[in-house]
Amino acid sequence: MVDDSGQLYTIEGISAGLLMIVTAYLVVSSTTVLTPQDVHITDVQLEQLGNDALAMMDTRDSYEDERSPLQDYVLYDDSINKSNFEQQFLLYCNSTPFGAMDDLRFNATIHFYKRSTEEQSSYTYYEPPGYDYYRENAVKVNRWIYLEEKPWNGHPNMNSGEQMVIMEVLLWRG
Amino acid sequence: MNDDGQWIILMGFVVSTIIFILALIVSQSALVGQTTSESVLEFSKTDIQDLRAEVIYLKEKELISDDLLIYDLKNLSMGRKTAAVDLNSWSDEISGTDFVFIHFNDGTTSYSETYEEYY
Repeated sequence: MVDDSGQLYTIEGISAGLLMIVTAYLVVSSTTVLTPQDVHITDVQLEQLGNDALAMMDTRDSYEDERSPLQDYVLYDDSINKSNFEQQFLLYCNSTPFGAMDDLRFNATIHFYKRSTEEQSSYTYYEPPGYDYYRENAVKVNRWIYLEEKPWNGHPNMNSGEQMVIMEVLLWRG
Repeated sequence: MNDDGQWIILMGFVVSTIIFILALIVSQSALVGQTTSESVLEFSKTDIQDLRAEVIYLKEKELISDDLLIYDLKNLSMGRKTAAVDLNSWSDEISGTDFVFIHFNDGTTSYSETYEEYY
């Protein structure tokens, strides 16, 4: 009953099976590496988008204008200007070439440096109403802003006269 | 011993070796894509662009030699961006040129520029 006439075929079958398993493993593992890569690519895109939106808002509409819209929003930070800021930023970030709007959310923080005490501190300029940040993969973009004076509703510790502040925007997909 | 199927065995080996090598290449390319986007994220392009835009704005508003603003800028940039920033401005009367030296270093990227403007 038992003889060794099929030995070569058995060895061939085993080695072919091993090769197929190893190949399948390599192919599957190589495609799973794509996931973190994709995340990074969207991070890069999101960062560029946020920076571009801030740069657009920090550009004066005409040469005669004293301040850019962004400077106005930060300097005269009443509720009207804050909602203008929100609308403009969301419009720039969420516009797509297809007409439909994207769903990006953000919050904005102003960082300043108090010279007399040599302290840095910050206050929240804008956060989405009733929507806290609970997600991963947010990107942080920032923009230098020159202010001639302390904003209307600025932090009590801010310098009184002219100063440089940083607006930091945390941007994420809602 | 029957050796009729030797070509089939050989072809089987060749084909599986090719698939094996292709799979290796595919897995490598995915890694390359990841490291590329990581280094793109790490490179502080937007920080430098932002600093440059602000310096040119301050120059236009004739605030570039305002020590208080530069003091704010250096300290905030150290605290929020962990980057050393140096700004220096001077002008040359013979050629009628204003210069602003901009230096930025965040540990991985160092950037220096002398911005020129004729008046």
